[in-house]
Amino acid sequence: MSTPALGTPSVQTPPIPQGVGSAAVPSPAPARAATREGNSLGTFGVKSGLAQMLKGGVIMDVVNAEQARIAEEAGACAVMALERVPADIRAEGGVARMSDPKMIKEIVDAVTIPVMAKVRIGHFVEAQILQSIGVDYIDESEVLTPADDEFHINKHGFKVPFVCGARDLGEALRRISEGAAMIRTKGEAGTGNVVEAVRHQRAVMSQIRKASVMTEEELYVFAKEIQAPFHLLKETARLKRLPVVNFAAGGIATPADAALMMQLGCDGVFVGSGIFHSGDPAKRARAIVQAVTHFNNAKLLADVSENLGAAMVGLTIDSDLKGGKYAARGK
Amino acid sequence: MLILTLITPDLYFSPAGSKVLEAFLTITYIDAANGTATRTVIGILALQGAFVEHQAALEKLPSSIRPEVILVKTPEELQRCDALIIPGGESTTIALVARLSGVLHPLKEFIKVKPVWGTCAGAILLSEAVENAKKGGQELLGGMSITIARNGWGSQVESFEAPLEVDGLRNAEQPFTGVFIRAPVVLKLNPTPTSPPIKVVSKLSPDLLPPSLSSPDHSGEPKIFVALRQELTEDNRFHEYFVKECVLSSKNQQR
Repeated sequence: MSTPALGTPSVQTPPIPQGVGSAAVPSPAPARAATREGNSLGTFGVKSGLAQMLKGGVIMDVVNAEQARIAEEAGACAVMALERVPADIRAEGGVARMSDPKMIKEIVDAVTIPVMAKVRIGHFVEAQILQSIGVDYIDESEVLTPADDEFHINKHGFKVPFVCGARDLGEALRRISEGAAMIRTKGEAGTGNVVEAVRHQRAVMSQIRKASVMTEEELYVFAKEIQAPFHLLKETARLKRLPVVNFAAGGIATPADAALMMQLGCDGVFVGSGIFHSGDPAKRARAIVQAVTHFNNAKLLADVSENLGAAMVGLTIDSDLKGGKYAARGK
Repeated sequence: MLILTLITPDLYFSPAGSKVLEAFLTITYIDAANGTATRTVIGILALQGAFVEHQAALEKLPSSIRPEVILVKTPEELQRCDALIIPGGESTTIALVARLSGVLHPLKEFIKVKPVWGTCAGAILLSEAVENAKKGGQELLGGMSITIARNGWGSQVESFEAPLEVDGLRNAEQPFTGVFIRAPVVLKLNPTPTSPPIKVVSKLSPDLLPPSLSSPDHSGEPKIFVALRQELTEDNRFHEYFVKECVLSSKNQQR
């Protein structure tokens, strides 16, 4: 395999990323050794720091500038620019790729909040292109058709930060080890069915709870079992949470879904097809934004859930699922 | 008193970082000691953004000055606070959720009489005018007579860290690591005779400024990183301050 131009020059030890607290799982964060002299662009602190600014917020999938404006007006803390929302990718099939840079640029120009965009798993050239047009975050996403069924992108070499999906703690820590500055669940996108996202979040939290009471000897074995780098697992056990921001993604369609994921310990929520495939996108978007802020306030959740119009049509997740299970893409 | 910083909260975890918080707290604490309150309550506006980082930083302070910390999402919670921190996040989101949650107006009233510290998005919300606002403009809380530009350096790939010299901090000779993530930049101070004076405690070195501001045309404009506002309508409560000269001169004015 040839070395990507923007990859790291040589193998490097991944830094221990910054800790973060979340509302549901508060924990102090470790000190960052930011002692470099002068201006430092694209440090891990800067990359994971943007994710910390997004916490408690909702990141919405949009396919054009008009939708991006609706999302911004509804209180989105960032938008995800893509050509087709996952529900359409699922319905239409075919190879799903990075979006047209022109479309992404139009969205960047239309809004003042951060703009994210998706690349295929392992497609580091798409990532180089997105970095060059100035997107704020890249999602190396299983929703697009993988370009590499073995290797993920080496994300350390990029100035732009990456978010990656994970189904369990081992997968999350492997992605962080590759340089991901933010993690999200890998719920089945485009189904409007939150069950997989719940499964992933519960798996991650349960493994963290287990690790947090282990001795160092036990952690060595646990790291081997879940195929995670030991130093990251040890840091996770100490923090009692993932060492980067962790969002919910995949299948979130209602304010209640969003609040559920927050109560399960997520730091924020991605909503994909759930908004612009529903009856009244602006109203639903605003309701989900409020639900994420007030996720523990059942009365307020009831208020914002009222009269939202039709939710997106959901799909059950079984062997007949059209488009197949995306979560199995990338390990 | 309003304290405005354009840095992001995670820097408070650097060894130098807690100095700002300590200075901020010393002031509010001394004020409480003079009054009836037994323990200062500091609220952190928890609508969206990096509020938990502020909470963790406050809770790490030495017990002699550690305040009671509450997360503020409702007007009732705001009412309990002696001081407030508005965290980094997205200013458009925070303003919208504040309005939907019914805390926007209480916040505006709070800022007029109590100490407030805004970091990053919080700083934008405390300004009187904003450039690069979202289309159609955006809501601000106001309180500080400054003009601020959102995303002063552009997109995330321009985000950076840089050491800063901050007047009045403990161990001031040790630089403070500022983290600039899609950070706003203060373009102009707009002091008016009626508005409280503004004291700049730190400036970013000119070579790190956005290109548009470091060009010769703009060289006369102030380049501010951290700005403090002395709220003179409020009495001696905000005097023990980051900046010694600022503190002393204000005391003399009011007594």
